[in-house]
Amino acid sequence: MIAFADMLTPAFDTVRNFMHAEGAAFLPELELLLFAFGILAMDFWISHKEKYWSPALALAGVVFSGLTLWMLRARIAAGAEFTAIHETIIVDTYFLFFSALLLAAAAMIILLSVNEVAIPLSHKARYYALLLFACAAMMFAVSAVDLLAMFLALEVAALSCFFLAALPGISRRPASSSVHWMLSSLFGSAILIYGFSLLYGLSGSTNIGKIASALARRHNVAKVIALSKQPGAHGAQMYQLLQSRLPEALHWHPFLLETLPTAAFLLVFFGFLAKIKAAAVHHVNENSSSASPLTPVVFLSGAVVTTTIATLLRLTLTIFADAHDIWWRVTAAVAVAFITTGVVASLRQETFARILAYASLAQVGYLLLALVAGDETALTAMAFYLFSYVFVVTGAFAILLAVRNKSGAGVQLASLNGLRGGSPVAAALLIIFVIALAGFPPTGIFFARYSLFQSLLHNNHRYTAWFAAFAALPLAWSYLRIAVQAWRRDPDPEAEIPAASFGAPEAVVLGVCAFVSLAAGLYSDPFLRMARYAFGQ
Amino acid sequence: MPPISDYLFLSFALLLIGVAGVAMRRSLIIKLFSIALILNAAGINLMAFARLFADANGETFAAFTIAIVVAQIAVALAIIAAVFTRWLNVSSAPAKHPETGTIAS
Repeated sequence: MIAFADMLTPAFDTVRNFMHAEGAAFLPELELLLFAFGILAMDFWISHKEKYWSPALALAGVVFSGLTLWMLRARIAAGAEFTAIHETIIVDTYFLFFSALLLAAAAMIILLSVNEVAIPLSHKARYYALLLFACAAMMFAVSAVDLLAMFLALEVAALSCFFLAALPGISRRPASSSVHWMLSSLFGSAILIYGFSLLYGLSGSTNIGKIASALARRHNVAKVIALSKQPGAHGAQMYQLLQSRLPEALHWHPFLLETLPTAAFLLVFFGFLAKIKAAAVHHVNENSSSASPLTPVVFLSGAVVTTTIATLLRLTLTIFADAHDIWWRVTAAVAVAFITTGVVASLRQETFARILAYASLAQVGYLLLALVAGDETALTAMAFYLFSYVFVVTGAFAILLAVRNKSGAGVQLASLNGLRGGSPVAAALLIIFVIALAGFPPTGIFFARYSLFQSLLHNNHRYTAWFAAFAALPLAWSYLRIAVQAWRRDPDPEAEIPAASFGAPEAVVLGVCAFVSLAAGLYSDPFLRMARYAFGQ
Repeated sequence: MPPISDYLFLSFALLLIGVAGVAMRRSLIIKLFSIALILNAAGINLMAFARLFADANGETFAAFTIAIVVAQIAVALAIIAAVFTRWLNVSSAPAKHPETGTIAS
């Protein structure tokens, strides 16, 4: 026995040393994965009455992962950011901020799912395991500094979300709406991988730092290639120079070297946007009486959008940082298109969930404005915006869930009519969330938008700033319609009054969301410090 | 090795055909195959560049891409099969149930 323990000791020491060194970089994700496997394994031997262990374990996984992030924070504060797995992932302040946000979103979804009646009890363990798988993959995507790692993480997250929100068994969502969402997401992935292949071809590397330096010197390489193709001694000299120093450049045409980076940017950008749009509006085809669970919708609306924006931002700021003069126009056009589509479509909806879905497109448009401005103020405002948005949108969906669980009402706007009489607390909270989403003061989203507009004006994007400011008015009205319905009472005395029921988990989530919605506006300093921390300030 | 531009033109043509297929065709199966065309176009790029740089990273990238995308397409096909079983139709347009006449959401 002692001999066996002696044999194991070196193995344990090796693992421990690895986890203290390079392994610490993916320890938060590893903990989530271990807890997910633990939930799946435990599901085999626990009875139906003991299913409450699944959310408890899932929450424990999120807490452990969060504590590890906190320890990594101390390590970064003491030294510097560090990479792992052959420089494919990085632990920096950016990763810590967005991972903490993703963990917060996952924790809120786990709490909201405890009393979610639409998820069959027999599938709850799989559901929580999939949530943790998706969250771990999203954290990997945010930490990835390698195209292959980034793509794999994004696709594993997408696959987990497909199972979470689309497959029969866990979801009772109509299959046709699921397949539309999956095809849109797959299309985005296909466009994204094509853009990634061009970036690899232009640099010969999948590391985003090396790609950035290769793209920065492409003008010089293109000039040398053009010179090498000229007749005469000078051309021959350049040809020999290229053959000795950069032989693969001889296969390139200067025109391709100059134009392919722009094509790669467009493909990567539109690939990410297709994925965001697919996740944000994936449930709009659903019937209002559908018994499909809402919690995956909340997760996709918050966490998937956060991951995709964070990954896009890391790529854009690293690889395409030098070409801001070129791509801000594309970004501005797309942001305006997203805001316009979101505002027009949300004004035409009569369903709570659809209003939130289409209006989230407009919110993504506002987030993209930070890329147009491109300075530190705008990027900090974007991180602050995203932070507030995740909590506010989760709170709004939590109210809808509470109303649906209590009165079985659909997600029609009219079914909220008179909520003030049935559940005054729910109505008050809903109004807080709706005001926050609409961007009224004193809420976090208002201050984030204000900083964005200031930054746009400061960087001479005044038309974009004015458009965004005016578009905020109809967007606010599309949200306020929800508050109006919840506040006013149907004149018909026999009309059914909706009510909401909160268990302890929902109350915790609603309390946290309401606190963040208001505190981020009334006392924004700590939240702004967090947002600045993401960019190492 | 043929010029890299030849590979790029081929993959770009496949990309355009794929995008057109996704945008213009209504059959979910054809949409899925069009997406597979775009993925193959990216695979051609990756393999061509890997050969150009004599670098195994590109080949690894292509192999992983194929693996993960095959998994996703398998899930998509499973859901399309579920749609077909229920609605006897794989069009992306709203379909009527063969017996009840209700519109698929």
